[in-house]
Amino acid sequence: RALLGVRGAEAAAFLQGLLTNDVTQLVAEGDAPRALYAHALNVQGRCLYDVILYRLHRSTAEEPHILLECDSSVLDSIQKHLKLYKIRRKVTITPCPDLSLWAVIPGEQPGDASSLPKCADQALLLTPDPRAEVMGWRLIAKKGANLSEIIPGSQVGDIQDYHRHRYKQGIPEGVKDLPPGVALPLESNLAFMNGISFTKGCYIGQELTARTHHMGVIRKRLLPVSLPGPLPAGGVPEGAEILTQAGKRAGRFRAGAGELGLALLRLAHLGEPLCVRLPGDRLELRATAPEWWPKAAAK
Amino acid sequence: RGSRCSASPGPGRARPRPPAGPARPAGSLLRWASSFSEPGPKESGPSEGQIFLSESCVKRLLEIAEGSEFLRLQVEGGGCSGFQYKFSLDTVINPDDRQGRRDVLVVSGARVVVDVDSLAFVKGSMVDFSQELIRSSFQVVSNPQAEKGCSCGTSFSVKF
Repeated sequence: RALLGVRGAEAAAFLQGLLTNDVTQLVAEGDAPRALYAHALNVQGRCLYDVILYRLHRSTAEEPHILLECDSSVLDSIQKHLKLYKIRRKVTITPCPDLSLWAVIPGEQPGDASSLPKCADQALLLTPDPRAEVMGWRLIAKKGANLSEIIPGSQVGDIQDYHRHRYKQGIPEGVKDLPPGVALPLESNLAFMNGISFTKGCYIGQELTARTHHMGVIRKRLLPVSLPGPLPAGGVPEGAEILTQAGKRAGRFRAGAGELGLALLRLAHLGEPLCVRLPGDRLELRATAPEWWPKAAAK
Repeated sequence: RGSRCSASPGPGRARPRPPAGPARPAGSLLRWASSFSEPGPKESGPSEGQIFLSESCVKRLLEIAEGSEFLRLQVEGGGCSGFQYKFSLDTVINPDDRQGRRDVLVVSGARVVVDVDSLAFVKGSMVDFSQELIRSSFQVVSNPQAEKGCSCGTSFSVKF
């Protein structure tokens, strides 16, 4: 993931018209959250970029300074996107290569959460991941900072463990899980991940999204899946068809790491035994509704 | 809706043309000429793009603009389709502002001003004042750069 700095008096107003979530919540007076999840959509209402916004400035008296976390492979592309819509807004958009972004995942033992210390000097920001409690916290520090000083008792983990944790929990992140121009925000569980406001004004792609929410039914969602059997070399390809035992189409595989992954599946088939169709083979696949989804959701 | 007159563009709402009126004595023409020589925003040249005002737009502006007020048109990023028009009454001219075509603004007091950055998105458009059941408002119509827009007409996307 990469960080982009958006500074200036009009930073919040600028981002408000481009993102699904209510940026004014991030910069409000009083006890505003320091992080906000959102998607930038295209005009047709499809996902372009999944981002987390962080508020660096501490009070409304300071010049707004917002950091935007995005998939590092689209850093250039998202900069161009922002600059296209900037026009005359009083904002500056600059990458922040001297900062590092960390995910802090809770350990196995209970009680780890309460022992998280407040920001030390080297940490710019330590805040709960706005998407779901199971994702722990996000930490922004200067590059090369000593993490065991900032969070005593923590260990630096393998990035693959982070991705496996996400897939186990069913949290999509980045362009592989949310292909730009393909993924739909509501099917990607944006509402369950606190990434969208249905009471804010116009933003790019709002028309279809608001209409689906108010009038449509969401029949498919991105779900965490597991493949208990032997895996093909190179993993399961994106778009591989998933079928029920009776051979009916149930959805498509999206992305994964090892035996875990995400698939876009019809909710009607949740809980049924499923399989992925590959050339010359069918792999058993299991899908579950994540614990952190609202209880009424898996219908 | 006949087809008899090929010269005038059909019963559309907005088209540029000098206002019809009785012939005026030379003295009044001199009065209009002096108002044009007042310092004001630079008129946009053909390369920067021009905007046109409809009759109803000019008429409405004359009704509502007080003193040195003019109609400012800006384009902002955001909105359902990517870009949105923003109209406001303003009194301050900046060095990078451009003014709508003079030969349509035959009466002083009906000025439309656009900054150069916004002008790039609206050049060739017409500003109209449209009165409908749902609302009466200034609208940008027939923008040659705009592709499909949102249902309420405030937002548009750009042909690249």
